[in-house]
Amino acid sequence: MSTILQVSSRMRQCANSLESSSIQAALIGPHAKILRSKIIPTPTVMTETNSRHLSSIQHNPRWRASGVLDSYIAQPAHPISLRQLVFFGGRNLDDKKIINSANYVRTELPLRIAHRIRDMQKLPYVVVTNRHLSAVYELYYKAFESFRKIPEIKSLEDNEKFCEIVKTALQEHLTVIPSLAMGVLECNDLVPSHELDRFMNVILRSRISRRVIAEQHLALTDTFNSPFHFPDSVSHQPHEFVGEVFLRCNAREVVEQVGKHTLELAREANGSTSPIPEIQIEGRLDTTFPYIPSHLEYIIGELLRNSIQATIDHHTPLSTSSLPPIKVLICHTKEHIIFRVSDQGGGIPVTELAHLWSFAKAPRAANYLQNFSHVPKMAATLQELQKTAHTHSRRESMDTSLSRLTSRPPNLRLGMGLPMSRVYAEYWAGSLELHSLDGYGTDVFLQVSKLGNKCVLFADGVPS
Amino acid sequence: MYRIAAAAKPSQRPLVRCVSTTFNSHGGTGSASSLEGYTPPTTSPANDMIAQLAAKHLDRLSLKDLIRFGRPPLSTQSLLTSARFTREYLPVRLSRRIRALRNLPYIIVSNPNISTIYNNYIDSLSAILAFPAGSLTSLTEESKFTELLTEIVNTHSNTIPTLAKGFLECRGYTTPGEATKFLDHHLRARIGTRLMAEQHIGLHLASVPQPPTVSVPGKSYIGTVDTELRPAEIIESCASFVGDICELRYGARPKLTIDGNPDITFPYIPVHLEYIITELLKNAFRATIEANSPVPIIVTIAAAPGPPDAGGITIRIRDQGGGIAPDDLGHIWSYSFSTFNGSRSSIGSGNSGHLEGVDDGAPDGGMDAMGRFTESAGALEPSSIAGLGYGLPMSRAYAQYFGGSLKVQSAYEWGTDVYLRLKGVGLDGL
Repeated sequence: MSTILQVSSRMRQCANSLESSSIQAALIGPHAKILRSKIIPTPTVMTETNSRHLSSIQHNPRWRASGVLDSYIAQPAHPISLRQLVFFGGRNLDDKKIINSANYVRTELPLRIAHRIRDMQKLPYVVVTNRHLSAVYELYYKAFESFRKIPEIKSLEDNEKFCEIVKTALQEHLTVIPSLAMGVLECNDLVPSHELDRFMNVILRSRISRRVIAEQHLALTDTFNSPFHFPDSVSHQPHEFVGEVFLRCNAREVVEQVGKHTLELAREANGSTSPIPEIQIEGRLDTTFPYIPSHLEYIIGELLRNSIQATIDHHTPLSTSSLPPIKVLICHTKEHIIFRVSDQGGGIPVTELAHLWSFAKAPRAANYLQNFSHVPKMAATLQELQKTAHTHSRRESMDTSLSRLTSRPPNLRLGMGLPMSRVYAEYWAGSLELHSLDGYGTDVFLQVSKLGNKCVLFADGVPS
Repeated sequence: MYRIAAAAKPSQRPLVRCVSTTFNSHGGTGSASSLEGYTPPTTSPANDMIAQLAAKHLDRLSLKDLIRFGRPPLSTQSLLTSARFTREYLPVRLSRRIRALRNLPYIIVSNPNISTIYNNYIDSLSAILAFPAGSLTSLTEESKFTELLTEIVNTHSNTIPTLAKGFLECRGYTTPGEATKFLDHHLRARIGTRLMAEQHIGLHLASVPQPPTVSVPGKSYIGTVDTELRPAEIIESCASFVGDICELRYGARPKLTIDGNPDITFPYIPVHLEYIITELLKNAFRATIEANSPVPIIVTIAAAPGPPDAGGITIRIRDQGGGIAPDDLGHIWSYSFSTFNGSRSSIGSGNSGHLEGVDDGAPDGGMDAMGRFTESAGALEPSSIAGLGYGLPMSRAYAQYFGGSLKVQSAYEWGTDVYLRLKGVGLDGL
């Protein structure tokens, strides 16, 4: 303000002087210019930078008539009991059952996807226009449009065509999880963390339900078509798989396999000379139960990966002595299997505990985003199929989105292992709890429902 | 001290008898319809001395507050400041407890056990108020004041079992939710009240020379805080004590090993840690013995890096005693819930249907639990091997008082892990 007063008084002085007007004008000019610049702010000019920014945030979403979507959303999802799903295909698969299954999938998938599309539509505009989330949105809409237009399946031939469509969609959607995760990390300063977490939980739970329904149908079709399938004969070997569900999943075997695999990855990543902790398994080792191996392998894999990496990081200075082992306890009740993974990796500091279960990871988002770009084939769209590392899956040539994640090296921290694992655990009426002994180590308790349990309803996972 | 208390009795009447005073204010001449000569009472419970004291501002007691005068022996000035502080704020705390008690349903406070506690608080408040605040200017007066505090602390040492008995007897007259709410609030507030008194007593004993018959706190103590508390030591002594009770009752004692970092020390209040560890070990020992498990109980001590008030200490107690049944898990934090003797008398389980079906078990289970109350007194509370049903919720209250936590994780049909986290206090060169 004082500058303005100074300048304007100077102008008055000039004006009051007895100089000729032209000299006055010449004297006043520069002062007036200064005065003008101090009182009236210079308008923002369309610089090169500004122009680029504006065009980058321009967005032309395809406006689709939302009437169709509205009509689908008006219908609730139809939950199917897992018992029905699993034992449906048991020994009496016939044409009719396959066709029924196909039509259930045909109608259920677009219904459930419609609900999720609406969820995304309700998020703030600035969030859904994030490039990763926008890609997911487009994928979902495309799937919705394509599935809702499929006519009723009436023959096995129709079913074959249908299965091809399903397979393609499953493949295309493999990038959804990393895209969602990266999108959420990039948007974590636009929306409160808890809202982003709620959104992620809902969309991931629904995704599990759709993929399991779809994969189960594909597996049943496979079984039906397989040359060894004789519908009326008594088979000599008990059916080990019903679709994706492995009826006699052995807890110890799963932990051993996953443990071996994760330790190998750790060895590769940390150098073959550095010590690697041992994994010791104790408890009720004869436990078998029906489960979907890829889910269990993912969760156990994440937990072991965390423990192994923490143990290595915490003890590296004293690398001459052997590292304390990771102890996995397996036990079971009538309805649940319990895994306890205990490590001596130094525990988790109190300051980090708050963000452990969040997908939004507020303070460390940048680190995690960086790491995403290092995961093999995470960001790119899929071109070819890839063999999975896990032989339990019936369709070995089928790449699953989880296998992509489980084959990454353990020191590549994406920050979503725990929240993702919890989504999977809770989906099957289970739970995931973590207890940290700050300065010593961490205990994680995974509880899963035995899948034969009739209480597990195979719902969309979300109350509509 | 009692002489002073007796002299204060006349002023005590308005506290308990204001109901009858109101009714008789017009002299009771028998003219029932006329209210002539009726003068409304000038004080009502809403604004009487209790209410006024209770409304005063109160800061939460922190470990930092407790050590603010530095290491004893304190200067006379500091000791008198501490005494004056206690003289000022203890009445506020006591009044709040009285206010909470007198807001309970009439039928509950009429219960002889509850009524005893209520009168104890009134008596203690009277005694303190009768001690002239302005007289705390010399060590002689301060010594008298400390004697008074000691008596008050002793009077109230049996509050928990007495309240427990009372609430158990009143089970039918209140909802589980109301009972839990009251007990939780009351017992947590009680921690602070006792601490305030005991802290001054401890500082006094360490600052003013005592005859050899009186036990004084050790060199590392600042009142009730041991600046060099070694958790492993507490665990060992509690294990020995609980093991003895086990042998008495079951004829066997389970093994216990300590791993992690047994040598660490941190500043904390030993009697609190002792209480918590004793209760937790009681649960672990009982489960282990009743499951006939040969596996020892493993206690792991972890110290977070950094100052003691940052990450603090975490103690994990791991047993293989068979875990907690899923049906019971929802009740473990309820007051007076106990699986001892197969009984399930629960206050605050939130499942009122649960209470109905408990009649068959309650008299025996309940009585047996009460019988335990009379067993040998421990440092803080009377001990029993089990059956009180207050162990877990009280332990959690103690743990949480200074910002810690207590979590229970059970693997049913295998065992239980309990995680106790405590924050110490930075000594800042003390």
